[in-house]
Amino acid sequence: MRVRFALNGEPVELDVRADETLLTVLRRDAGILSARESCGIGVCGACTVLVDGRPTSACLLLAPLADGAEVATAEGLGPDHPVVRAFAEAHAFQCGFCTPGMIVAATALLAESPSPSDAQIRHALAGNLCRCGSYVKILEAVRRAAA
Amino acid sequence: MRAAPEWLAPSSLEEALALLAERGDEALPLAGGTFLAALLNQRLIEPACLLSLARIAALGGIEGGEELRLGAMARHRDVELSPLVREGWPAVARAFGVVASPRVRNQATVGGVLADADYASDPPAMLCALGARAVARSAAGVREIPVEELITGYYETSLRPDELIVEVRVPRADRAVYRKFRTRSHEDRPCVAVAAARRGAETRVVVGAVAGRPQHFPELCRDGDAAEIGRRYADAIEPIADVRGSAAYRKRVIAVEVRRALEELAT
Ligand SMILES: Cc1cc2nc3c(=O)[nH]c(=O)nc-3n(C[C@H](O)[C@H](O)[C@H](O)COP(=O)(O)OP(=O)(O)OC[C@H]3O[C@@H](n4cnc5c(N)ncnc54)[C@H](O)[C@@H]3O)c2cc1C
Ligand code: FES
Ligand code: FES
Repeated sequence: MRVRFALNGEPVELDVRADETLLTVLRRDAGILSARESCGIGVCGACTVLVDGRPTSACLLLAPLADGAEVATAEGLGPDHPVVRAFAEAHAFQCGFCTPGMIVAATALLAESPSPSDAQIRHALAGNLCRCGSYVKILEAVRRAAA
Repeated sequence: MRAAPEWLAPSSLEEALALLAERGDEALPLAGGTFLAALLNQRLIEPACLLSLARIAALGGIEGGEELRLGAMARHRDVELSPLVREGWPAVARAFGVVASPRVRNQATVGGVLADADYASDPPAMLCALGARAVARSAAGVREIPVEELITGYYETSLRPDELIVEVRVPRADRAVYRKFRTRSHEDRPCVAVAAARRGAETRVVVGAVAGRPQHFPELCRDGDAAEIGRRYADAIEPIADVRGSAAYRKRVIAVEVRRALEELAT
């Protein structure tokens, strides 16, 4: 079946199976590699993308449900985006596997609350796991991006 | 490779109900898909046909009045943030707001969390304590099912295959509280959940996540202080053991958390 949505502002049309997830088709057919599969069951956040502005686990969203939506991934932000720069400046990663998911979740938070408290940042990113344990610096990066 | 399921996405409720009446055995309703996608990813189910409810505008929406009406397709995050819910039914906003992570709450729906009847979900215990009813419709008619009769056991409900939950109606309470006791991480499911509500002279206490369905014992709440009622609940419930806690551990937590919920209810 055909699915049409906006991907980082550009229209795309993909051929998908009804039981495939958005994550599968983004990686296979749309050249999006920032969203990664780790757990595949919605727990880790490595596959986070924004669907109509809301952080979503692409591994839990069946591809046909993205029809008509605006999907945004880290690729759409570019190296000069304030959140991307803040992550680089704060060294908010070690291996980097969780970073794109953290960055898109942080952009959604900042769009909603431009000056979040530490508690708000922790709440918004709870459920985005970092196996390298870079949480302290991730928190700092989001504070920096907000400033 | 197995055949891809057929995708049905009707835009009206009538159409959806007609499809279910005709193909109830093979068409699986799909709401947010957080539960079903995980099963599909792990190849635990291979439905012939997925019936998406996403295009049915009549299933969305949150309305207030005498009772709160949560559309089946309202998302957890919408319930959590709705000023109407926060104002009139704050414990409902809280029970939906402590589910998993913002990502899951952005996708999971009110109808989905009731229909999947997972023993370790948050909203069902709260809805039970408030005496909420699910409105179920089929091509043949409509009926209201109290949430405590809707969930009958582990992943089992009293819904018929041709029925859809269309909305949930939640009466007001004088005061209600929801306590989620977690043993692993902040975004995890509960080990023990306690929902309590007071309306006039009646107090209802419901314990979730400890057995196949929410545990409610009206006769244990009629007299006694908070600690006493907590001990009675701990005695009455035969808790399960799972990764979030052993049965013996859960019994101790039930006694404490029921007491705390009742103390909070009294403030
Ligand atoms: C990582 C993760 C963590 C979680 N943590 C928690 C937690 O802490 N607390 C908690 O409470 N829950 C938790 N959940 C569960 C989550 O809330 C449920 O998966 C979700 O509510 C299901 O809703 P959905 O709309 O995605 O349902 P779907 O996956 O679309 O459907 C679920 C089931 O309900 C049926 N169904 C859906 N809508 C209807 C309807 N209107 N009428 C009839 N049948 C219907 C479907 O056929 C299916 O069987 C977690 C889930 C995940 C993935
Ligand atoms: S891969 Fe999607 S949340 Fe872990
Ligand atoms: S930097 Fe390695 S997982 Fe987060």
